[in-house]
Amino acid sequence: MKEKLKKVSEFEWYLPKSTRKEMRVDGRIIANKKILDAIEEDAIQQLTNVACLPGVVEPVIGLPDMHWGYGLPMGAVSAFDDKEGIISAGLCGFDINCGINIIRTNLTADEVRKKQKELVSELFDAVPCGVGSKGKLRLTPEQLEEVLVKGIDWAVENGYATKEDKKATEELGRMDGADPSKVSDLAKKRGMPQLGTLGAGNHFLEVQRVTDIFDKETAAKWGITKKDQVMIMIHCGSRGLGHQIATDYLKIQEQAVDKYKIWLPDKQLACAPVNSQEGRDFFAAMKTAVNYSFTNRAVMTKWIRERFEKVFGRTWQEMDIKTVYAIAHNIVKLEEFDYNGKKRKLYVHRKGATRSYPGKPVIIAGTMGTSSYLLKGTETALKKTFGSSAHGAGRAMSRHAAIKKFWGGKIKQELANRGIESQSPHPKSLAEEAPLAYKDVEAVVDSVHGAGISLKVARLEPLGVIKG
Amino acid sequence: MTRKFKFIDDLTSDVMFEAYGKTLKEVFENAAEALFSVICKVKKVEKKQSLDIDVKAKSIEELMINWLQELITAVDLKEMFFSEFKIREIDDRHLKARIRGEPISPAKGETVVKAVTYYKFKFEKTEKGYVARVSLDI
Repeated sequence: MKEKLKKVSEFEWYLPKSTRKEMRVDGRIIANKKILDAIEEDAIQQLTNVACLPGVVEPVIGLPDMHWGYGLPMGAVSAFDDKEGIISAGLCGFDINCGINIIRTNLTADEVRKKQKELVSELFDAVPCGVGSKGKLRLTPEQLEEVLVKGIDWAVENGYATKEDKKATEELGRMDGADPSKVSDLAKKRGMPQLGTLGAGNHFLEVQRVTDIFDKETAAKWGITKKDQVMIMIHCGSRGLGHQIATDYLKIQEQAVDKYKIWLPDKQLACAPVNSQEGRDFFAAMKTAVNYSFTNRAVMTKWIRERFEKVFGRTWQEMDIKTVYAIAHNIVKLEEFDYNGKKRKLYVHRKGATRSYPGKPVIIAGTMGTSSYLLKGTETALKKTFGSSAHGAGRAMSRHAAIKKFWGGKIKQELANRGIESQSPHPKSLAEEAPLAYKDVEAVVDSVHGAGISLKVARLEPLGVIKG
Repeated sequence: MTRKFKFIDDLTSDVMFEAYGKTLKEVFENAAEALFSVICKVKKVEKKQSLDIDVKAKSIEELMINWLQELITAVDLKEMFFSEFKIREIDDRHLKARIRGEPISPAKGETVVKAVTYYKFKFEKTEKGYVARVSLDI
């Protein structure tokens, strides 16, 4: 299928709808040649599948971190008409509001290096991670309902987050219209003990240092003023609650596909018309998981602040430990765009994709031990990618293959040789996230920057890694 | 002893396995063991507490998916790892099982399985018995 791609520019490729007779719209892939060559044929096939769905709005988009996922690739964006379109649990991903918080400090890398081991060990203790650790907060059913409806406002009211944290969160940390009555008891029961936990897989907490500043003015606006300034990055999602909501609604939407006679090129693209009961219910349930996840990361931020206070003997305010931005990269949102000269509201599905609005922060996480980037959104993204950009490096090797190929103990040593302190519940989780199991994040960032869908502000490298 | 299950390198992002069994009971039990060998150090998990599970479905294929999904859920709800899976009754649309394990602990944990998926899913009866191929989102 790759042979059907037509080059638009060094960083942009066009997949005409004539590629396949069922395609309703064209596709667009943002990638340089090196990245494009590495994208799996199956992932491109999946992109064409989405282009066949009812009410899809041109184009369906593959981002440079695109890799095969269930139904839709990770690193993809699809938008649907607010009347004729569909909404899909499968196009959102199992980990609803998997996302990243980036937090600044006024500490220097040297200050952290002096206490590196102690700090990483404190943070590992503060943030429950991995499948075997229990959460410290154990919500009552009433508290959980509040979190699902109010999102980060619950954290602000209960002293876990500040109003400034809220202001620095996408959707201000709370999506309106979240309805816990649309969430199964099972999902709620899974969510109650897990608020304030990191999870496992590719989720991590990193202490990082700024290595390069590309856009001084924007960086300064976000409180980033010098090289070697220390930053903190949290990557995680909505835990068992979100996984269960996605699983429940995939089943509900599989039935909806029969009920509304929707032709699907792949069963995993289960969906429902946006204005059907099944569609509205999913949207209302998904929003609860979005709210839960923003709260989850805010709660962990408080614990991180406390441990920095303990290690450095100063208040978090003195160390200026403030949220620069918190974003979601698995989400469905109803957003308004200028589209061919008209205002149009669209259900934008971002699966492994970050919102990129003019001037707003975009966060692209590298793999453990490699670089991450802070970028800013652009007008070009609004025109080309429904206001979206990439979210990470994208896997190049299965977790299973990585475990076979790499040994966690050696990876820990290699990181240590490069001055990076790491901790995880067991070495295998370091092996499955081995840097070589991923694509090159630099090429991903060069592609989004080159295509103009988000522009580099600062580059970050880890000093300390905590892996679930 | 015949092989209970094997892992297959297929995806760039996830885990796929095939479970085998001479009988329906066996293939369901072995699939559960494969799943838990991803979630935890299954061989080190002691059989301290038991849990009875009842699963329904519209077909044998769906029964396999629902069974594994039920087990993933049980890890979160009971905060336990499991290592023994006994199917007590099974037909095409229903099963009853008793599973045993111990409370979760970081030392025995491996990774979170988010969901069981239908990607390249297969459930077949061959001359040698049953084969179930399952992909996990982790």
